[in-house]
Amino acid sequence: MSRDSTAKILTVAFLLCVICSILVSAAAVGLSERQQRNKAAEKKKNILMAAGLYDEDMSLDEQFSTIQTRIVDLQSGEFSSDYDVASFDSRVAAREPETRFVIPEGQDLAGIKAHSRYQDVYMVMDGDALQQMILPVYGKGLWSTMYGFISLDADMTTVVGFAFYEHGETPGLGGEIDNPNWKNLWPGKRIYDDQGKTRIEVVKGTVDRGSANAIYQVDGLSGATLTARGVGNLLQYWMGQNGYRLLLAKLKQEGVKQ
Amino acid sequence: MSRAKDVLLDPLFNKNPIGLQILGICSALAVTSKLETVIVMSLAVTFVIAGSNVSVSLIRKQIPNSIRIIVEITIIATLVIIVDQFLKAYAFGISKQLSVFVGLIITNCIVLGRAEGFAMKNPPGLSFLDGVGNGLGYSIVLIIVAFFRELFGAGKLLSFSILPTTSEGGWYLPNGLMLLPPSAFFIIGLLIWALRTWKTDQVEEEN
Amino acid sequence: MKPLRNLLDKLHPLFAEGGKLQKLYPLYEAIDTFTYTPGEVTDGAPHVRDAMDLKRVMITVVLALVPCFFMAMWNTGYQANSIMQVNGGSVEGWRGLLLELLGYGGNPNSLVDNLLLGAAWFVPIYLVTNIVGGLWEALFCIVRRHELNEGFLVTGSLFPLICPPTLPLWQVALGISFGVVIGKEIFGGTGKNFLNPALTGRAFLFFAYPAQISGDKVWTALDGVSRATPLSHAAEGGVQAVIGVTSWFDAFFGLIPGSMGETSTLACLFGAAVLILSGIGSWRIMSSGLVSVVAISLMFNLIGSSTNPMFELGPHWHLVLGGLTFGLVFMATDPVSGAMTEEGQWVYGFLIGTMCILIRVVNPAFPEGMMLAILFGNVFAPLIDQLVLKFHIKRRLRHVQG
Repeated sequence: MSRDSTAKILTVAFLLCVICSILVSAAAVGLSERQQRNKAAEKKKNILMAAGLYDEDMSLDEQFSTIQTRIVDLQSGEFSSDYDVASFDSRVAAREPETRFVIPEGQDLAGIKAHSRYQDVYMVMDGDALQQMILPVYGKGLWSTMYGFISLDADMTTVVGFAFYEHGETPGLGGEIDNPNWKNLWPGKRIYDDQGKTRIEVVKGTVDRGSANAIYQVDGLSGATLTARGVGNLLQYWMGQNGYRLLLAKLKQEGVKQ
Repeated sequence: MSRAKDVLLDPLFNKNPIGLQILGICSALAVTSKLETVIVMSLAVTFVIAGSNVSVSLIRKQIPNSIRIIVEITIIATLVIIVDQFLKAYAFGISKQLSVFVGLIITNCIVLGRAEGFAMKNPPGLSFLDGVGNGLGYSIVLIIVAFFRELFGAGKLLSFSILPTTSEGGWYLPNGLMLLPPSAFFIIGLLIWALRTWKTDQVEEEN
Repeated sequence: MKPLRNLLDKLHPLFAEGGKLQKLYPLYEAIDTFTYTPGEVTDGAPHVRDAMDLKRVMITVVLALVPCFFMAMWNTGYQANSIMQVNGGSVEGWRGLLLELLGYGGNPNSLVDNLLLGAAWFVPIYLVTNIVGGLWEALFCIVRRHELNEGFLVTGSLFPLICPPTLPLWQVALGISFGVVIGKEIFGGTGKNFLNPALTGRAFLFFAYPAQISGDKVWTALDGVSRATPLSHAAEGGVQAVIGVTSWFDAFFGLIPGSMGETSTLACLFGAAVLILSGIGSWRIMSSGLVSVVAISLMFNLIGSSTNPMFELGPHWHLVLGGLTFGLVFMATDPVSGAMTEEGQWVYGFLIGTMCILIRVVNPAFPEGMMLAILFGNVFAPLIDQLVLKFHIKRRLRHVQG
């Protein structure tokens, strides 16, 4: 059989395809379980970090044992059992027509146009008592969409921790949202005032510590006005009417129903 | 034996794929802001070049001329996917930082260049050495670039603090440009300048 | 002057071929020709006789910059003095001690007090720029056995003028080093650079250490004083916000915070007149830049935007705020990095003006766009020239072929 005959070409191509596809599928299937575990662990780690509970020396599962995952329906503010907690992915759900929520015009503070009506939220429990509520939030910064978790105290308004785990802001400017000094400004700040209005904001420059509003305000980032504004806006959105306000108000009044 | 030695070591400085041929630049810009990611990337690329060189060389007498490039690309793509899957399973954090750039090894011109230019004409043993050598040549440039970018951009090396930065209470004000991809262009440019001052035969003739 | 001539003549054998200090000949040559006309005369035909040699070109540019130098010092002092008069505070550190010795009184209405305070900030930056930049220049000339020329005189004058007064001196040194080495020397030195070296240095600092060259804290020569430039006010709140902090005439005369030498449009206009009259700066680049700035900003005015207040800023504001006029007059017209063909210069100026307004209005991150616009234009200049030449050749060929 000559090297360039049609039969030879077809044989080589066929054999090569078979061998390569066997190798590729073997790698994909054989390693997929481990990859899924990694993905889940990464998410758990991000959640724990936002809650300020992450401890490098303890196993993730152990640390996560006090945390319950729930799917919340943002429109009713109720927990929903329609979706499987383990496989739910709000980024995928944001694209599915039946779970997609398109933000009405003029209300899109976070600059994300649409998101999933259902979100996975995480509750840090002490027995039956809810200690912390960890909520996923995201929105546009200057260049990128910033993804993070915010953790609230049992009063459902005081911030315990707030951290982004994925963003593409300029290193050294907007990227300073990862700076521990800045993240440390958040704990203790309040999201809502006594009337239940969403008050949290990121100011330009530094907060006037003496003012009555200081409890709702966080220092801006020098040289990164637009990223800082994006952070403030996305919190305003997610803590507002289309976000978690209903859920948080219900939890505050009624506690966690098992 | 000296042939084997040349094949292995020439790509380091004398015929460096980045320094002399200016190949594989895109990943050199994208992944070099940290030493850690660069080391993993270098290992991945070296593995793919060596692997594809050996595979292509083994079947070089069977490959029909008309589908030569397709065969080579298929082999390379297979190796890249395997590497990508392994990284996702065993080095998840780094594979996340490398994101699409592991997949883009397929388009790294060095890999196809060596398969087509060397492995098609040489026995598997030599092809393997050539693959490893070119992988190392690529690695050495990336590691030097990443060394400067991480050191001056973040004051760190392999995430250990070397120059304490002002945001952590030290004296060093990090150079933000070093964290942006264009800085890799400057560093590679300066490296090539240094290399060609040292090995003057690499200087291109003016036309 | 005679003794200096005699001294130079006496030293000549030392530096001439075979002399002890032969390697340093470029330095000797530079001093000699800086003070006296060059000794060599062109002897082969054909050649054009023109009193305008490289040295005179460079020195004319520096002269055109004199009002900008004056305003750089006066306005830097004026801005800080007026703030101090209202908020209190004093000049700290060695500057304070030195100024006290010189009888500085801190009065914003006193010409001398403003100049003194301004000089205390401007002169160190100027000196560092010229010493560090000059050293690089000399080093490359000695290694390459070139003659040291006055090309650096212009870069060394422009660079300090586009720095904010509070720029740390080590960053000044780093910026000018990058500008001279990467922006000029690696391409072969004066006359071969495709980017403006002063802007290259500033762009380096802008991306490397943005906190010291952008934002609100760097424009007033006082520690901890946060005052945005009128242009960033415009980005925040449009025309209303600008009127809130300055009047058009203040901006035109340059009584606003900003990079030291760029604030005064009036001083730049003087420079423009000198450059155009002497034929050094291209009036084509300046006018097409001007036309495009007016056209594009009017276009944005017409389109309007409910979310971006920059859209409403008119051309008369764009021209007096930020570094637009300074850049258009002194940087865009750089004969080396700009377009050379006449038609090319029209296109080149238009490109820069358009890019500047585009960056200012549409890009959310940078309120100022002139630096990037000129560098962008620099990169395109050779291509523009190439196309113009091709077009010419084609047209003439048609004539020949009938």
